[in-house]
Amino acid sequence: NPIVLDMAYNAIEFPSLENRM
Amino acid sequence: ALEDLFSTLHRHIEAGDFPQAVKVADQVLKAAPGDEDAVRCKVVGHIKSDETDKALAAIRAAERLPIDLSYYKAYCYYRQNKLQEALELLRGQEESSAVLQLESQIFYRLGRMNDCMDSYQKLQKYKIDSMDLKINTIAALVAAGR
Ligand SMILES: [K+]
Repeated sequence: NPIVLDMAYNAIEFPSLENRM
Repeated sequence: ALEDLFSTLHRHIEAGDFPQAVKVADQVLKAAPGDEDAVRCKVVGHIKSDETDKALAAIRAAERLPIDLSYYKAYCYYRQNKLQEALELLRGQEESSAVLQLESQIFYRLGRMNDCMDSYQKLQKYKIDSMDLKINTIAALVAAGR
């Protein structure tokens, strides 16, 4: 089977820290 | 001050230095136990460093806090090939492109190609223009023999 790319890994994001700095 | 720690944390994230980001997230948590942003940064930092066991440990340590970390937990289980457990966790989540992307990958690994194609179908409405999504869809079509 072709390799499936890990889209979920790329979709995981750090929270925005804009209002914490 | 907490603001300085978060600035440092932000810099490490921007630089892609995830292990350092985890260290600073820990410093924040020492000063402000249970801080949601810091908990999330710690878990995501471990995930982005491919430290699945550490990510799960951080999730367990935060179990009593009112923070929903189940998507991250599902992703960690996927990485550990605990696919049924991962699916179970996703079932309780509101539909989103992230949930559908992970779900499609789990179905693919389970060889459930019809379910996998259903997830891709549902992903269409999120208008994700990604080469990865196209590649994965083609892989599933090939595996399904369509
Ligand atoms: K995969």
